[in-house]
Parts: sequence; structure tokens; C-alpha cells
Amino acid sequence: MTPQSWRRIRQAVQILAALLFAYLLLGTRQGLPTFLPHDLFFRLDPLVGAAAMLASRRWIPALALGLATIALAVVTGRAWCGWLCPLGAVLDWMCPRKPAAQDDPRGNWRTAKHALLLVILSAALLGNLTLLILDPLTILFRTMTAAVLPAVNALLIAAESALYAIGPLQRPLEWADGILRGAGLVGGEPAFQQGIVLALLFGAIVALNAVRPRFWCRYLCPLGALLGLVSKVALVRHRVDADTCIACGKCARACPTGTIDPARGYAADPAECTLCLDCAAVCPTNAVGFHGHLVPAAWRDYDPSRRQALLALGAAVAGVGLLRAAPAARRESPWLIRPPGARENGLLDKCVRCGECMKVCPTSGLQPSLFAAGLEGLWTPVLVPRLGYCDYSCHSCGQACPTGAIPLLSLDDKRRAVLGVAYIDENRCIPWADGVDCIVCEEMCPVPEKAIQLDVQTVTRPDGTVAEVRRPRVVRERCIGCGICEYKCPLNGEAAIRVRAA
Amino acid sequence: MNEIDRREFLRRMMILGFSASAATLLARCGAAQSPTAPPTAVPTSAPTASLPATPTAGPTPATAQPPTPAPAVGDAYLAVARGESPAALVQAAIRAIGGIERFVKPGADVLIKPNICVAYHGPEYAATTNPEVVGALVALCLGAGARRVRVMDNPFGGTPEAAYARSGIADAVKAAGGQMEVMSEMKYATVPIPQGKDLKQIRIYRDAVDADVFINVPIAKDHGLARLTLGMKNLLGVIWDRPAMHRNMGQRIAELTSLVRPTLTVVDAVRILLANGPTGGSLADVKQTNTVIASADIVAADAYATSLFGLTPADVSYIPAAAKMGLGTMDLAGVRVEEIHV
Repeated sequence: MTPQSWRRIRQAVQILAALLFAYLLLGTRQGLPTFLPHDLFFRLDPLVGAAAMLASRRWIPALALGLATIALAVVTGRAWCGWLCPLGAVLDWMCPRKPAAQDDPRGNWRTAKHALLLVILSAALLGNLTLLILDPLTILFRTMTAAVLPAVNALLIAAESALYAIGPLQRPLEWADGILRGAGLVGGEPAFQQGIVLALLFGAIVALNAVRPRFWCRYLCPLGALLGLVSKVALVRHRVDADTCIACGKCARACPTGTIDPARGYAADPAECTLCLDCAAVCPTNAVGFHGHLVPAAWRDYDPSRRQALLALGAAVAGVGLLRAAPAARRESPWLIRPPGARENGLLDKCVRCGECMKVCPTSGLQPSLFAAGLEGLWTPVLVPRLGYCDYSCHSCGQACPTGAIPLLSLDDKRRAVLGVAYIDENRCIPWADGVDCIVCEEMCPVPEKAIQLDVQTVTRPDGTVAEVRRPRVVRERCIGCGICEYKCPLNGEAAIRVRAA
Repeated sequence: MNEIDRREFLRRMMILGFSASAATLLARCGAAQSPTAPPTAVPTSAPTASLPATPTAGPTPATAQPPTPAPAVGDAYLAVARGESPAALVQAAIRAIGGIERFVKPGADVLIKPNICVAYHGPEYAATTNPEVVGALVALCLGAGARRVRVMDNPFGGTPEAAYARSGIADAVKAAGGQMEVMSEMKYATVPIPQGKDLKQIRIYRDAVDADVFINVPIAKDHGLARLTLGMKNLLGVIWDRPAMHRNMGQRIAELTSLVRPTLTVVDAVRILLANGPTGGSLADVKQTNTVIASADIVAADAYATSLFGLTPADVSYIPAAAKMGLGTMDLAGVRVEEIHV
């Protein structure tokens, strides 16, 4: 096999891995109809696994699969990054230019990712997982869930609706609509707060490719840093045969992570090399090979030092201290309505911010928190009933959660899980304020013995007329806080019945 | 390098554009050559008021629904079947009002609208229409030569897919040879309501107005505002903005009915829900009544169904409102009601 065909195999594997990611992403919906675990990539992510287990102080069996990725790194270094990581694939494909002539194989900024990794792990020791928002897989999954797929859905529905006006297209459109629905690209009207923010963040990560190819992977990615440290002992590593090398420099220019150092005989740091084989494919003399080594690779200037580790620990301690001293930690927001069972479960030290629950939620009521949970709970799930209610027939979020932050509840248990209590705003509620019948909230209430009762009362309307009207009343002990009343309240803007956290 | 890529891109886009327009043209030609079978309108002196032309907002030509054919001499105006087997009740009730052939002509495109309001419970909770009733109707329509039979609703609680499955209706329809359709946003259009006074126009699922045959299959159950949800209330499932119907509900439901005019209404009262409707969830609120009511007159069917709850038609605001608009009769003494025991 030539190096070129090896590279082609690598590219094919990369495409397949990205397709698998897309398939599992689209399959993350009610019923989870995928043939592999929908959260396979998170299970394979050793950073997510290590941080979640450190923070919650328990063994999470599903995440043990991350050890396989570590084992892979022991054998083949950062092959994960070059062959399997779906974010890496996206960054490879969206690279706006070929590598620059001169790169920075010794650039000290590479240490930023180590700092990030050490802060994440130190904070996890203190029970905090906030910075897992910067794990590459959570970034990709969250962006797809909260920004890309909702946009695709909106565009497809707009296109369908526009084209449906053309008579002969109606039958093909019905057929296409069925296919798109089956694929999970249309339907459910997903809409997420901060979708645009997440899209911009993702755009920035892609745009950094213009500064250096795979800027994210070489300087910032904490998972890449973790795998890189393991790769110091990798068995299979890049090696240049000094006898055949003609020092043409093609390999250094082709290297997407810029780790090939002309000043060191075109050697690469296995902690930075993604085994993409681009160097081998461009080498005119076949001087580049990948061979077994048993001696650990040299420590570089940008590799973490004891001082950096202590600094990271200090930063994590300071950061967690500040977060815990924030008002949100003192008094919880009334709008911090957690997914069923999650509050009781202590969500913060288990939630890896992956976004699986938001993807699976059929009403997209589960939203990435911005302020409700304080900065510490950034992008953890919070139910926003005005945007989507907790479906009485659904317990998918607990099934989708890879870490058990949202507990796995049977449907019966989930139906009894109290998320909050609904309160009526009597100043705005139509029957209360206007003396006119409405009852939508009562009609929607899914509890078998309705938590909203109607009292027939004779009232004086604002215009002075007297009428009989059915006024809603919430029976607190029956209300589970699902929020369908708030979602369906026909008032514009804020509902006249709102759920507050239990 | 970049420029060639761009040129190549544009070239491909043009090829794509040409093929798309060619395909559209071909599709137009194809459509012109094989027009869908026009509904066979039977001249009639049906007791229901004559149907207004149903204009649609989109460029789709408004296909005027055929008025429901009149019952032949000897046919009942309204049939009530009682017995153990829901499927047998449906067959008997429809036979009594003239047989399915009276409503479904060979080649007809049939739409069936059960009540699948939530994805919460199985049929034993009487929140959703009995699946055997729906399945029997699908089988009858296909037996009469229907081109296709689609069954749909737009649940307010849970996804359509989950609700179709939980209600048992998806399985029953599939077994009978029909198809479940998820109601896509693209198929809603805003249309005027000619007889509307309170509602001048409404955004509605086009097929509910355009289908050759529209069969309305409500389950009879409790409702907080309307008191009961029956045939006319069940039509709320085909409009876009349901909460808007809750003001002046009786009149608005009657005006919606004037637009949709189901070909046939079959009220499922195999089990009825006496309280905590329309969602249900407690078997204590369910009563087994083993009854199916069928009539081409939705007002009459609803009027009869009130008696199962010990109410009168006047107790359910949309029934007198619809009768007043001439959409049917709520005076059952004046029509032939056939009661059958199966």
C-alpha cells in the first residue's frame, strides 16, 4: 500500500466517523431509534468521562468506553484527532487555505490547550464541570442541536411551504416531507435560545482555521491535549528516514497541525501529530514512515510543567470559589426548572453540557441555560415552558443523558416527578381580568385528576356588566410543573400562568 | 485555482437549475395528462345546507366538495349501533344510513379524522378514538374502492408519531391498509369562511377542505369549556391556531364546521370519558357505552351523542349555533333514527 492510499483510507474513515456522528445526532430523538448507542461519541470521549467521574465521585460504566480511546492513543497517538473526531473532520473540510510555508512547530501557544485541560480536570476535582462546554464533542453536538438543525428545519419548512403552492409539486413534496421527517430534519419545530451565539462561537472556531490550519486542534482543544499527553508514549509514531530525506520541506508545509520541524530533521511531536499521513503522501522519496517506538517522546517547551499544573489548579480553585460565591449559588432562580428528577439528583456535578437532552426533547422545552443556573450552570438544561412543555408521554431526556445527570425514570415515575408549580397571574388571566371564558390551561393539564380546576363565578367585568365565568385555579398538590398550561396560554408574550421551580 | 472552482460551481448550479425546471415542466405535463379523478357529485336534496364554494388562498384550484348524497328511501338519517364489537358497530351503523358506497365512490381520496389529541394514554382511557372503529372505517372505504385512505390528527400533547402509536390507531390503520399522515405545516393555507361572522378566515389543513371524502370520527368525551367534545369540536384538529377558538367557542366551532362540512360523522362512544377531559388518564372517569353513532349530518350526530351524557343538544353551545346556521338538525324527533343491536 502506498502512503497515498493510506491517506485515502484515513479520509474515508474520517468521513464515515462524521457520518456516524450525524446519524447518531439525528437519531437522538424520542424512542432513540439508533442501532448503536446514540451517545457513542460521548462514551468514547475520555475527557468527558474523566471529568464527570471526578466531579461526581462515582464510576460511570457507560463512560468507561473512554478507556478505549486512551488505549488507541497509547498505540497510535492522536489518531483520534486525525481519523475519528467529527469536529476535526469539519475543521479539515472547512480549512480555507493550504498550510503556510513556515509553521510554528515549537510555538509556545500550543500550551494553551494543556492549561485548559488542567483547569478542567482541577475544577472537576472540586465538583465543577462548567468548562466542559469546550470539549470538542460537546461543542459540535450542542451547535448542531441548538443552531444548525433548527435552522435547517426552518429553512426546509419555508421551502416546502413555498413550493407547495405549485400544484404539480405537491405529491413529490409530500413524499419528500415524509423522508425528511423520517430523517429527523423536519418536524418538532426546534428553536433554541442562544442558537445564534452558539453558531457564532462555532463560526469563530472554524474561522481560526484561517490563522493556522486546525488552530483549534493545536492550540485549544482540551481533549486533544489529553490524548496528546498519552501520545508521548504512543507505539506508532511518525519517523523520517534521514538517509532518504532530501530536505525538500514538502511534509512540513503539508502538515495540518504544523508539528513537523525542519530544524529537527523534519521530526514531529507525537503529541501534536494526528497521524493524518498527509506528510507521507507528499514525500517525493518515501522518507516518511510510521513505525513502532518504545521510548517516550521528548518533553517540549510547550508541554505542561509542574508550575503550569499548579497554576491551573490555582485558577480552578479561584474560579470555582467565585462561582460558588455568586448569588445564583445562594438563592436559586425561580425559573431554574430542571429536567425531571435532575434537581434532586444534583445535576451540576454530573452534567457534561453535551446537549443530548435538548436534542431528544420533543418540544424543545429543554433549553441551554444562560442566567437561570448562574455562570456555573452555563448551557446546562433548563425547562423554559413558554418555549416547550414537558411532554406527559415522554421520558426521553433521562434515557438520552450519558452521565445520569438526568436520572433514568420509568414513564410512570417521570409522570410523578414534580418540576415546579404553576401560578396564575390573576391580573392578566382572561377569565380573572376580563371576565371571559378561556380554560385552555385546564383543557391542556395532563394530570389524570386535573391540577387546574374551574370555578364558576359571577363576576363584574371591566365594563361593568355582570357575567358567569369559569375561573381557573391551580391545585398545588396535583401540579407536576410540566408547563403545558404556560406553553398553551393564549395570551401574547408572557403567559398568565407560569411555572416556578419546585 | 479559486476562480476555476467558482466557475465550475456556477456551471454545476446551472445544470442543476435547468434539470430542475425541466423536471417541473415534465411534472406539469404529467399532471395535465392524468388529472386526479374528479369527485363524483351526486345531485341531491340533502337536508344539510348547500355547500359554499371553498376558496383557497393558494393557487390550488378550489375543488368544491360534493355535497353528501341524500339517503335513499329506506335509509336512516342517523344510525345508532350498540353491541360488543366496535368494528361490527361501525359496519352496522353505516349500512343503516345507506352503506359506505353512498359516501365513498371508487377512486376517491379519503381523509379520516379521529380524535388523537394526546400521546398520553392507550384507548382504554377514552381520550382518543377507538382504534377498532378507525380501522373498520379504513377497511370499509378501501372496500368501496377508495384510491387511498389517510388518517391524521394534530395532537396538542406529544408528537404525532407518539400519539398515533400510543392510541393504537397507527397499528389498526396499517392493518386495514390505510396510511397515517403527519400534518405538515406546508399543507396549511388561510382560507375565507363564507358563512363566517365571527371568523372571516382561518388557517386550515388544505386536505380537510379539498379531500374527496372527509370522515370525522370523534370520541365522545368531557370538555371543560364546551362541556362535551364531539364531532364539531373534533374539527379543531385541522386548524392551525386552536387557542383562538376558545373565545366565543360555540359560534366559532359552528363557523369552522360550515367550512369543513365532513362527508360523514361517526361518533365513537364505545367508551366515553365523563370527567377530566379531553386528556383523561383515569379509568374511573371512563364509561363503557358500546355505542357508535353515524350520520351524514354532523349536527344530528352530535345532538344524539349528548344523550349519552344525560345532556341535551342545547347544553353544548356549538350544537345550537350550528343548527341556527343551517348546518344540520338538532331536532332528532323530525328525522329517522335507526337503533340497531349488533
